[in-house]
Amino acid sequence: MATKTKSAIDKAGLDDEQLRRLLYLLKLTRYFDERMEALYRQGRLPGAIYSGRGQEGTHVGVAFALRKDDSLFPTHRDLSAQFAKGVELKRVMAQFWGRIDGYTRGRDGNSHMGDWAGAHTFAVLSNLPSAYPPAAGAALAYKKRGEDRVAMAICGDGATSNGRWHESLNVSAIWQLPVVWVVNNNQWAYSTPNDLEMPTKTVAERAEAYSMPGVRVDAQDVLDVYVVARDAVERARSGEGPSLVESVSLRWRGHAGHDPAKYVPKETLEEYMTKKDPVKRFQELLTKEGVVDDAAVEELDGRIKKEFDEGYEFAQRSPLPEPADVTAGVFADDGYWEREPGRTGGTP
Amino acid sequence: MSERRTDPEAPQASPSIAAEQAANAEGKPDRADEEAKRASGEKVEAGAAGHGAEPRGKRTDAGEATYLIAIAEALWEEMERDESVFMMGEDIGVYGGAFKVTEGFIERFGPDRVMDTPIAEDTFTGIAIGAAMEGLRPVVELQYADFITCAFDELVAVGGKNHYRSGVPLPFVIRGPSGGGVRGAPFHSQNPEPWFAYAPGLKVICPAFPNDAKGLLKAAIRDDNPCVFFEHKWIYRRIREVVSEDPDFTVPIGSADVKRSGGDVSIVTYGAMVHKALEAADELADDGVDVEVVDLRTIYPMDTETILESVAKTSRALVLYESNRFLGVGAEVAAVIAEEGFESLDAPVMRVAPPSTPVPFSPPLEDAFIPQVEDIVEAVNRLSKW
Repeated sequence: MATKTKSAIDKAGLDDEQLRRLLYLLKLTRYFDERMEALYRQGRLPGAIYSGRGQEGTHVGVAFALRKDDSLFPTHRDLSAQFAKGVELKRVMAQFWGRIDGYTRGRDGNSHMGDWAGAHTFAVLSNLPSAYPPAAGAALAYKKRGEDRVAMAICGDGATSNGRWHESLNVSAIWQLPVVWVVNNNQWAYSTPNDLEMPTKTVAERAEAYSMPGVRVDAQDVLDVYVVARDAVERARSGEGPSLVESVSLRWRGHAGHDPAKYVPKETLEEYMTKKDPVKRFQELLTKEGVVDDAAVEELDGRIKKEFDEGYEFAQRSPLPEPADVTAGVFADDGYWEREPGRTGGTP
Repeated sequence: MSERRTDPEAPQASPSIAAEQAANAEGKPDRADEEAKRASGEKVEAGAAGHGAEPRGKRTDAGEATYLIAIAEALWEEMERDESVFMMGEDIGVYGGAFKVTEGFIERFGPDRVMDTPIAEDTFTGIAIGAAMEGLRPVVELQYADFITCAFDELVAVGGKNHYRSGVPLPFVIRGPSGGGVRGAPFHSQNPEPWFAYAPGLKVICPAFPNDAKGLLKAAIRDDNPCVFFEHKWIYRRIREVVSEDPDFTVPIGSADVKRSGGDVSIVTYGAMVHKALEAADELADDGVDVEVVDLRTIYPMDTETILESVAKTSRALVLYESNRFLGVGAEVAAVIAEEGFESLDAPVMRVAPPSTPVPFSPPLEDAFIPQVEDIVEAVNRLSKW
């Protein structure tokens, strides 16, 4: 067993610092997800939440394979991918509370955000997979300019039923674009299971129709996901074209905060929560391999709690947007997004 | 699918096909020769599109260009000026586009900047969005503006809302031939501009004259926002005038223009209806009615100042348009006049516009659908009697 796990780390080729960063990202997202849900259930969080719990292996794994100047086109359930790409937790929290320091300045809520100027993530939106074509467009720009950058788009299994998913794969293969198509197959599109969404057994096998590699990986082990994503990213970066990555997980919670997800069989959920928890498994692996010890994990947990608490305080202190700015920034012409927003009118 | 591949020329088949056959008989420009020219760095003059090969046609010796040539010149000049400008669309490369607007472009600019796409409007519009986010300036061609409904989600949900909630500029243009009067039937004749003028975050442009078309398209390509540019296909080869050859010539987006000055009745209109309004105004002048014709040129943002100035002068307003009457441009213009120009009015604001039906094919039906000169004359006479 030890040999096998050791080889997983060797195969990933990551040093201890990178491995500890992966653990931090997995645990940060898990903690964030649990605390935010608690705040939501207490009525202290406005709007909606879309839990990514149980799927961190996919999102952290794929986004960890990107460089900072690569672009990421995620969905509402992929906050961990955005964290891995470098978005700031405190600004994410300001976003959830509709504050001016949120990435959308209060124009959109919850995880519907991106940080194009910094972490180079696209502002998430609800219509799926509407971020797939723009990812192809970014990749086209890199190819045209001869840059060795890569675009990565993520969606769930549900969005693979939409025409744009197929159109994007099709055109990316015709034009050999440097793009990685990620599908987080969490087995349920809201309440609709895989077998009512697609005639194929897997998402990955659809890649063959578009003449690109399609790899299916289990998201229970973040390093397995990382290795698959890294290979796809390198392939894109070296000019060999697009790839499809299907990462299989389970959505532990409902579609959104209001959904108890009773349609997911109890046994399946229990199996995933006890045996296939990507956060727990990775922590055990790193402990076994001596990359972290109990004290280091405890220190990490404390650091994450502190970061969350500070983010929460930051969000509560951040002003609400000025009502008078409601019409600003529809177009680039008024310069609203070029200047510091008004901070005097809103009160927390 | 095959229908759309083969029928683009059908509605106004005769000029396009005949010209194409003529061009084929003469032989297309030799591509190797063109490549050699490009490799040698030979500068192609600004406005060269207007001096190019048939079947798009040429400027006259007097410098007159059709609306179609003017649009081709705008594209050509902006492609020359700015390397970040590129074009995408169905059959725009070797074939030169359904209406031959891009004839000769692939020879000059190459397939990397004149990109033929699969039939996937929503996706290639989304691709334009992503490329624009990375600093390129894509210009997307639709074979017919009708097919913009296939691109609705990327345009409205992604393109229109993106800047408001992220501050990332999206400098791209989506352009296509709109409008009826060419027996195009329900899927090749629509005027989709109200849908996009209604959607936040999109600028919507509908020029009526070659010079305006050229100046506005150049302005749209240079604009940092998503611009929806409708080229009225009835105008393409029918209207010609002297068109600017100044490479820096642009017409500001969001400015209307008074195409005929008059003191009795204002007709507020745009697109092909401007020409019908001018024809009606000539007839009415014979009866002593002095009509002012305001060409909106841009639907959003709308130049309400010019509308109100005109109504302040004439005290009577008719809104004339070719898109469906119900909840249309006329409703907005009438509301603006009612809210801000009520004291100027001597008569109710009236509308002349098609009924809320698909655009029918058979000539008597389409002619009944599209406002005709006699409809305009009659409406103006009714207004004058108040």
